[in-house]
Amino acid sequence: MKKLNVLLVDDEIIIRQGFIKLFDWQAHDCQVIGQASDGLEALSKIDELKPDIVIMDINIPIMNGLKVIELSRIKHPDTAFVIVSGYDDFSYCRQALKLKITDYILKPVNYEEFGNCIDNLKISLFESKKENKDSQQKDRMIVSITKYLQNHLQEDVSLNVLAQEFHLNAQYISQLFKSEIGVGFLTYLTNIRIEHAKKLLLSTDDAISDISDQCGYNDYRVFTKVFKKKEGITPSQFRRDFLKGE
Amino acid sequence: MIRMEVALILILCLVAILYFSTFRQKNTLHNIFSVLLVVVLINLIFDAITIYTVNHLDTIPALINEILHRIFISSMIVAVYLFYKYISVLTQPDKKRNRIPVFILILCIFSALVLPIHYVETSQGNYSYGPYVFVVYICVFLYLCLCIFCLLKNYEQLTKKERAVIGFALMVEFIVCVIQVIQPITLISGMGLTLMTLSFYLTLENPAYLQGQLVEQKMSMLYLKSQVNPHFLYNTLDTIRIQAQLNGDKEVSNLLMRLVDFFRLSVKVDRQMVALDDEMDLLEAYIELMCYRYPQIECEYEVDPELGDKLVPNFICQPLVENSFLHGLKNKGYKGKIKIKAFLVDSNFMEIQIQDSGNGFSVEKKEQVDSMLKNYAKQEFRLDGNSIGLLNVQKRIKLLCGEESGLSYTQDENGTVAHIRLSIEQEKI
Repeated sequence: MKKLNVLLVDDEIIIRQGFIKLFDWQAHDCQVIGQASDGLEALSKIDELKPDIVIMDINIPIMNGLKVIELSRIKHPDTAFVIVSGYDDFSYCRQALKLKITDYILKPVNYEEFGNCIDNLKISLFESKKENKDSQQKDRMIVSITKYLQNHLQEDVSLNVLAQEFHLNAQYISQLFKSEIGVGFLTYLTNIRIEHAKKLLLSTDDAISDISDQCGYNDYRVFTKVFKKKEGITPSQFRRDFLKGE
Repeated sequence: MIRMEVALILILCLVAILYFSTFRQKNTLHNIFSVLLVVVLINLIFDAITIYTVNHLDTIPALINEILHRIFISSMIVAVYLFYKYISVLTQPDKKRNRIPVFILILCIFSALVLPIHYVETSQGNYSYGPYVFVVYICVFLYLCLCIFCLLKNYEQLTKKERAVIGFALMVEFIVCVIQVIQPITLISGMGLTLMTLSFYLTLENPAYLQGQLVEQKMSMLYLKSQVNPHFLYNTLDTIRIQAQLNGDKEVSNLLMRLVDFFRLSVKVDRQMVALDDEMDLLEAYIELMCYRYPQIECEYEVDPELGDKLVPNFICQPLVENSFLHGLKNKGYKGKIKIKAFLVDSNFMEIQIQDSGNGFSVEKKEQVDSMLKNYAKQEFRLDGNSIGLLNVQKRIKLLCGEESGLSYTQDENGTVAHIRLSIEQEKI
């Protein structure tokens, strides 16, 4: 799969430096193709460079990050936006989610864990591409595998189960994930399980243990741990924070 | 007549003792009131003495009688001036004073000392009279006008209580003065002054009120100390962290990362009750930092995830863990283990335990702590001292979770355990 192009937007040079030098972009099939330090510059760089991913600070001069996203969305519907903000404030977060951003991370950014964010991005880019009907033969295989996973989230699926189901070599399926989506099978599975859990947390009143079951985690303690590692907060905190004030 | 004066003196002595034994804020208002108390007392004493001497004109030498009367009248003028001064500072604390009231004061005292004096003898008793007495009436009238002016000019800024007490005091002064003019023999000036003093003492100068002011002042100072803009703090720390990591110093950058986490969480918590998960996040951030400083201390968690959304009073665990680090494990050379547990006791209660493998309290200290936690309600509210953290935690738990909840300590040869028993209330969103 092709390298993803990244644009960095932050008004502090040292934070951009941190992103460029402290995160291993190469290892995650990405490259930084540009930087911007204010809202207007960000707008023109997005038009000019057409990046796949924009990493955006909210509190920047001239025009705030949310406004930039709102304006760019119209011309570049496929661009993935990741908001990086020091504002630990869910009103920003909710506003940001309305703009269909891909991810929202809080400063301080832990560069080791930023890889998770890139993995999420790749998966969501893949998911949106999946809607596209004009895919090639090989694409269709990964599409049907992922559709199978979506439908069997509750079960104990593994590479071996997939291999039997699709009459393929487990090794081959693993490679397929790496080359088509850019992330490993387990990362993908965890991601869609947690995404499903988030949906259930916000749309139902089900107990955490029930949601955990519905997402394929037999032990909800494990589920809570995985959820917290990925989202930074526990499922009950997630539910409360997002429903609060609505 | 003299009996009433003695009673008034006794009452004011009592007030003075109570007032001067209370620790109060140092400001102009309270200073004026202190002086006022003393002056009114002196005035009452001379009032009593002159009532005696004026009725024994034959036996007491005329000069002594005259001197005593002049001192009595002067002290009354000073008292009236001080009432004015008190009201003027109360109504407009920041205003620059002009000299006219002080000028009136000096003029009146001077007149009271030199103007002629004579004595009137009646069947009900004798009293002094003459131009030197009129000085008092003029003086009271002038200050009364000034006071009313102060009151009306700043009426909007005053609290209800202040308006009421100033109004009452001025009314008393006016009525007493009128009665005294019409019927000089009544001799009720002492009663008037006592009533005015009492009205201020009972409202704006009483011990509970003064103490409240002191606590408020201390609290606001503590609050101001913590008023650095948190975003400035995170952003600056974060910049330093990134620079450290760019310079290749991974350890410093990790430490800063945890510090930022701790600050972020502690500022975020602005409610009385928080979810156990939030409390644990804060605790973890704190413990990670401390463990970094004292690498030979290990930490373990055993928190029932089911309890994650149960509400607990905020910031109750951190002071206890801090005690474990700084007291429990200190004498073991900061070596040992801390274990945090949270579990369900029955359907109504949960317990948070903070265990450490430290030396624990000495027998004496343990008894002291036990009795303090047991009799938490009787403890004075203090803002300093070692045990204030524990007492504070205990008070907040009892207040927010009820009498059956609370903090207690047990210890054995393995170490100390803090037990926090909390009633469970289903979370309301």
